[in-house]
Amino acid sequence: MKRVWIIFSKEVVDNLRDRRTLTSSFLSSLFTPGLLLALIVVMGRILNVDPQEKPLLLPVAGAEYAPGLIQFLKQNNVNVLPAPADPVNSVREGDSEVVLIISPDYPEAFRRGEPAPVQLVLDSSRSTASASIQRMQILLTQYNRLLAALRLQARGVDSTLLSVVSIGVRDVATPQSQALIFLNMMPFLITLNIFAGGVYVIIDSTAGERERGSLEPLLINPPRRWEFVLGKLLASLPFAYVSLAVVLVLFWAGFQIIPVEEYIGFPMVLDGRALAWIYLLAIPEVLLASALQMLVATFTRSFKEAQTYLGFLPLIIGLPSMFLSFTTIKSEGVKMLVPTYGQSILINQILRGENYNPQHFLLVSVSTLLLAILLTLIAIRLYYREQVLFNK
Amino acid sequence: MISVQHVKKSFGKVQAVKDISFMAHDGQITGILGPNGAGKTTTLRMIYTVLRPDAGSVTVDGFDAVRQSQEVRQRIGALTDSHGIYPRLTARENIRYFGRLHGLEGRALEERIEALTALLDMQDFIDRRAEGFSSGQRVKVCIARALAHNPQNVLLDEPTNGLDVMSTRSMREFIRRLREEGKCVLFSSHIMQEVTALCDQIVIIANGLVTASGTPDEIRQVTGKENLEDAFVAAIGSEEGLIK
Repeated sequence: MKRVWIIFSKEVVDNLRDRRTLTSSFLSSLFTPGLLLALIVVMGRILNVDPQEKPLLLPVAGAEYAPGLIQFLKQNNVNVLPAPADPVNSVREGDSEVVLIISPDYPEAFRRGEPAPVQLVLDSSRSTASASIQRMQILLTQYNRLLAALRLQARGVDSTLLSVVSIGVRDVATPQSQALIFLNMMPFLITLNIFAGGVYVIIDSTAGERERGSLEPLLINPPRRWEFVLGKLLASLPFAYVSLAVVLVLFWAGFQIIPVEEYIGFPMVLDGRALAWIYLLAIPEVLLASALQMLVATFTRSFKEAQTYLGFLPLIIGLPSMFLSFTTIKSEGVKMLVPTYGQSILINQILRGENYNPQHFLLVSVSTLLLAILLTLIAIRLYYREQVLFNK
Repeated sequence: MISVQHVKKSFGKVQAVKDISFMAHDGQITGILGPNGAGKTTTLRMIYTVLRPDAGSVTVDGFDAVRQSQEVRQRIGALTDSHGIYPRLTARENIRYFGRLHGLEGRALEERIEALTALLDMQDFIDRRAEGFSSGQRVKVCIARALAHNPQNVLLDEPTNGLDVMSTRSMREFIRRLREEGKCVLFSSHIMQEVTALCDQIVIIANGLVTASGTPDEIRQVTGKENLEDAFVAAIGSEEGLIK
């Protein structure tokens, strides 16, 4: 074990002096929290700003035919604008979100108590306009019902006859679960970081060592091959664990500093306890990442080749957790045993403030640890082959 | 003492070493001479345990290179074909790392490094990071770290490759000094003059086979040539490796 320690400490010192390692371990950890917060700011602006607060800009053609309707719209925070020359084209091009056209027949029909024709020009495929469209439709419905009720009352009929059902809506989404789209990205981003923290140490001490021509002289020393593999593998861990800690702290700090609530409309809770549990959950996952990287790096011929392959690893491994960003998956059964996938689900649950099954926590940690050990053993076997020296 | 008996080694369809046998004794310099691709490096690699012979046996001080590889590694110091060192470590740290892997530590190790620094004339760069070292400086670091544990058997694969005239001269002197200390020195070269200037015993290898071996006199006798240069050409079968 002493030799493992010698190999470990040499690799740590060596890599601490390497700017590439430090950049990849620690600059990349600045990147993911930055990316997520930037997304929140940008997406929040586009999608989630409460549309009721802003006046709705509504180009209207033929406003003079329906002064009553226009008055109603203005009272409901609508800025009535002159209509563009070609309303259909204007909506199609996205210059206007929705245009109201009031027919010249409106005053006559209105006076006679017949349905007065108005037309909404809209593009239902344009998601950014959906809030305005929905708002306009609701306002028109409201105006319709208001006037209908008045007309019935004028004829001595109870206007409640119009209401067959009374609709009450209860939105069960908690504030946090509305911010899900952002929270759901976090397991994937954390997985990316788990794979980024120690990867340069692995590459440098395996493919890098071979490329420099120092692997052969090294292996002539008395330690056995497993001692070399273990020492090098362990050397990547401090980098990975520190880098992951930095990421989580940055996430936490970002949510403290940036007024997330202003951008997405809901408070997002990311407290120290949640982060601590996530970190704990990631401990075996980091081991797995290092073992897998060690194994893959054994097959690569050069630093660059190792970099390429190992760059793809987190994307492949993280794919299942990326799906979590778009769908909600229940935590159950065998799925929870799948290393990295199970963790992603648990991280998701922790972030949502849900109760998770501690058994799942334990099981996925054990299965991840076992897989990490298995991969390490395979990597060691590979190091006993003669080919490990040569670039094949 | 190194003993190589009828070793064979193939890589796929290529037979790098077909049948090589020789002995290298303590207190002697044994030279393996042969053109590039003759099987010199493969033979040395089987001695320093990174390759397993397909047939035959290699022993170092009586220990089998396959079954007792760790004992063999403790008894040899090898300058490999590639002279890779850690660029972000100083020369001293490079040497110290290998010394520690051999179980040395503390004052014994530091004193050994000091002695090697003086012996190889490395005072100027011993505490500099190895990034940007000249090839002469790199080779010195490689030799020093291979000898950190003061091994009885020293293997040198083309030690003067890429060195300038001055470095080559001091390398030869260094090899002679190892002999004076009673070490078993085995070195390979494709340069005839170098081998004749240094070696007590010469093993000539061509195409994976030993074509002649013995002292320079014995080789002249075996090949029937008066002139040593002609004797080499006859043994190798070509003029490769001769410096005109």
